[in-house]
Amino acid sequence: MTPEQLALRDTVRSLLDKHSDVRAAIETPHGYDKDVWARLCDIGALPIPERYGGSGAGRAETHIALEELGRTLTPSPLLASTIASRALLATGNEEACDRLLPRIADGTVATLVWPWDNGRSSLDGTARYVLDGDLAEIVLATDGTGLYEIDLAGVTREHTPTMDQTRRLATIHLTGAATLLGPWSRHVRDIALAALAAEQVGAAARALELTVEYSKTRVQFGKPIGSFQALKHRMADMHVLVETARSAALAATDEVSAAVAKVYCSEALFKVAAEMVQLHGGIAITWEHDAHLYLKRAHGSTQLFGSPQVHLARLAATCLDRDQPPEPASRKMRRNVGHSR
Amino acid sequence: MDLSLDAETLEFQAEVRSWLAAHVRPLSSMDTEHGFEEHRSWERLLASERLSVVSWPSTYGGREASLLQWLVFEEEYHASGAPGRVSQNGIFLLAPTLFAFGSDEQRSRILPAMASGDEVWAQAWSEPEAGSDLASLRSTAVRCDGGWLLRGQKTWSSRAAFADRAFGLFRTGPGERHRGLTYLLFDLRSEGVTVRPIDQLDGEPGFAEIFLDDVFVPDRDVVGEVGDGWRVAMSTAGNERGLTLRSPGRFTAAASRLVELYRKNPDPALRDRVVDAWIGAQAYRLHTFGALAQPRSGPAASVTKVFWSELDVALHETALDLLGEVAPGWRDGWLFSLSGPIYAGTNEIQRNVIAERILGLPR
Ligand SMILES: Cc1cc2nc3c(=O)[nH]c(=O)nc-3n(C[C@H](O)[C@H](O)[C@H](O)COP(=O)(O)OP(=O)(O)OC[C@H]3O[C@@H](n4cnc5c(N)ncnc54)[C@H](O)[C@@H]3O)c2cc1C
Repeated sequence: MTPEQLALRDTVRSLLDKHSDVRAAIETPHGYDKDVWARLCDIGALPIPERYGGSGAGRAETHIALEELGRTLTPSPLLASTIASRALLATGNEEACDRLLPRIADGTVATLVWPWDNGRSSLDGTARYVLDGDLAEIVLATDGTGLYEIDLAGVTREHTPTMDQTRRLATIHLTGAATLLGPWSRHVRDIALAALAAEQVGAAARALELTVEYSKTRVQFGKPIGSFQALKHRMADMHVLVETARSAALAATDEVSAAVAKVYCSEALFKVAAEMVQLHGGIAITWEHDAHLYLKRAHGSTQLFGSPQVHLARLAATCLDRDQPPEPASRKMRRNVGHSR
Repeated sequence: MDLSLDAETLEFQAEVRSWLAAHVRPLSSMDTEHGFEEHRSWERLLASERLSVVSWPSTYGGREASLLQWLVFEEEYHASGAPGRVSQNGIFLLAPTLFAFGSDEQRSRILPAMASGDEVWAQAWSEPEAGSDLASLRSTAVRCDGGWLLRGQKTWSSRAAFADRAFGLFRTGPGERHRGLTYLLFDLRSEGVTVRPIDQLDGEPGFAEIFLDDVFVPDRDVVGEVGDGWRVAMSTAGNERGLTLRSPGRFTAAASRLVELYRKNPDPALRDRVVDAWIGAQAYRLHTFGALAQPRSGPAASVTKVFWSELDVALHETALDLLGEVAPGWRDGWLFSLSGPIYAGTNEIQRNVIAERILGLPR
C-alpha cells in the first residue's frame, strides 16, 4: 500500500471504530447508519472520477474501504453504489455520468439489477437479492446488451431479510419502463466479484483477530486456551487462508481471476467464521456475541453474486480441456481451502 | 455382522412406524416457552403408548426393549420426522446415571415422572469459568440440617428457563479439581434459584444461566456418594458423547432427506459431497450396530462424538450449498449443527481423550 492508501485505511478504520454500531444499524428502518455513510462519502470511498464530482478514488482505494467495512460488518451502501457507478462509467455516456455520478458521490444510494441470480437479463419481471434494492434512489439494470436507468414510478420493491442481517437485500418487481444509457459491460461482473472479495477478506481477517485475542484471554486448565497446540495450529491455518485470500482478492482483475477470488474468498471466510465459532466454545452460540454475525455474513456472501459452484462451473468450462471430466475442479479448489469441518 | 431383524423386532418396528405415521405433526421450536410445552405434550402422548423410553424397565414406563430394538425405534422415530426430544437431558443423561448410581427410592420417585414428560430435566454442569475444564467448577454445596445449600452460578444450561428440575455437580470438599465434587439434583423453582434465559444465535432462548443462592437440596437428592460426583458425572458424559443422545437414526434420516433434496436440485458440483455425507451416515450406523456385538465404554464415546457432530455439520452444509439462501428448514438445522462440536465436551477435548486415553500418547 502507498502512504496515501495506508492513511485512507487508517481514516476509515478509525471512523468505523468510533461510529459504527452494527447492532444499532440493523435495527434502523433502512438497515444502515446514514451518518457513517455520509462520512464515507466525504472520505471519498466511492470510485468516482473528480470530473463527476467524486474523489478520484480508484479500485484499490474503494477496496480498502470495503475491506474495512467487511472487518466490522458495518452495513453500508458502498458495495451497491460502487457496482452501479462502475457499470455507469463503463457505458461512456457523458450525459448520464454527469447527471447521476455527482449525486452518487454525494451519498444518493444507487444499485444495479443484474442477473447473477437466474442468469436471465430482463427489464421486467421480478429481480431477487438486489443489494439495497428497496432503498436505492438510482436503480440501473441490464438486459444483457445495454445498461438502463429504471423509471421507479410503478415499480414495487420490498426488503427481503435473509439470515445475514448486516446485508440489505430486496426484491424488485420491474415494469419494463427504463431508459437506455449505453452498452452493458460484462466486465461489471468481475468488478462486483472483486469488490465482494475485498469485503470478505476484511471479515475473515477480523474474525481471525477476534479469535486470536479471545484465545489469549480465555483460561481453561490453568492456561490461556491459545497455548494449546490443537488451537494454535487451527489459527495458523486460518492465517494462511486469510493471507492467500487477500492475494486472490488483490489479483482479481479479469474474468478468470475474479471467479477464482469469488470462490476462494467465499470458502476462506466461511471456514474462518466456522472456526471462530468452534474456538470460542459456548459463548459463540449466543446472540449477544458477534461470532454468529460473521458466520451469517460468510454464508450470505458465499451465495451473493452466485454460489461458488456456479463460478466453479464457469472456471471449469474456461480452464479445463473440454475432453476432461469437470469433476476434479471442485474437489481441487476445496482441497486448497482445507477440508470442510 | 448380521443386521437382519428377528420377528419380534420386526413386529415392534411395524407398530412404531404406524403409530408415528398417525401421530407425528410439526411443532414449534422447543427453545421457546410455547414450543417447549408443545413438546412436553408430545412426550406425554409418546408415554401414553409406552414409547417414550422403550429400553427402560416396564415399572418405570418402558418396554424392556433390547439395544437393537432401541436402534430400530430411533431409526423409525427420525425417519418419520418426529419432534426433537425435549426430555432428552433427563432420559438420555440423568436416567442412565440413576440406573448405575441411584438408589431404588430415587429411581421409583424420579423415573416415572421423567418418562411421562411431567418432569423435564436440565443439565447444570458448565460454569462461566468451567467449560472444557469442568473440574475447575466453583459452585458449592454446603452441609446443613437435613441436606445441602447450593451456591454459585451455572451457565449454558439447555432449556433451563422452561425445565422443571436440574442435575449438577457441586463442590463439597475436601480436595481440589476432580476430588470433593458431589452430584446433586435440584428444583429449578426452589427458593434462591434465578434463571436468566440466554438467546442463542437463532434468536431463541435455548439455554440459560442459573444463579443459586442458598438453594436447599434434601439428602435424598444426592446421587451416588458424597464426594464421588466426578465418577458419577463421567458416566453421564459417556452417554452424552456417545450413542444414546445421538442415535444413528437421526443422521440416516437427515442423509435420506439430503439425497431427496439432491434429486430435486441436482447440482453435479455437489454430487460427491452428497454421497460422502450419505456414506458418513451409513458408516455411523454400522459403527453403532457394531456396539451390539461388542459393547464399548469410556473413551470410545469420544470417537462417536467427533464422528456424529462433524457428520451433522457436513450434512447441513451440503444441503445449504444445494439450496443457497432459500433454505429455512435446513438453515436452522445448520445453525444448530454448529454447536454439536462444542457441547457435550468440545471436539478438541474429545481428540485429546482419544489421543491420550485410547492411543496412549503422552500428555
Ligand atoms: C448448544 C449448547 C448447549 C449446551 N447445553 C449445556 C447444558 O445443558 N448444560 C451444561 O452444563 N452445559 C451445556 N453446554 C456447555 C458446553 O458443555 C460447553 O460450552 C463446552 O463444554 C465448552 O466449554 P466453553 O463453552 O466454556 O468453551 P471453552 O472451554 O472456553 O473452549 C473454548 C475453545 O478452547 C478449546 N479448548 C479448551 N481446552 C482445550 C484443551 N485442553 N485442548 C485443546 N483445546 C481446548 C475448546 O475446544 C474450544 O474450542 C452447552 C453448550 C452449547 C453450545
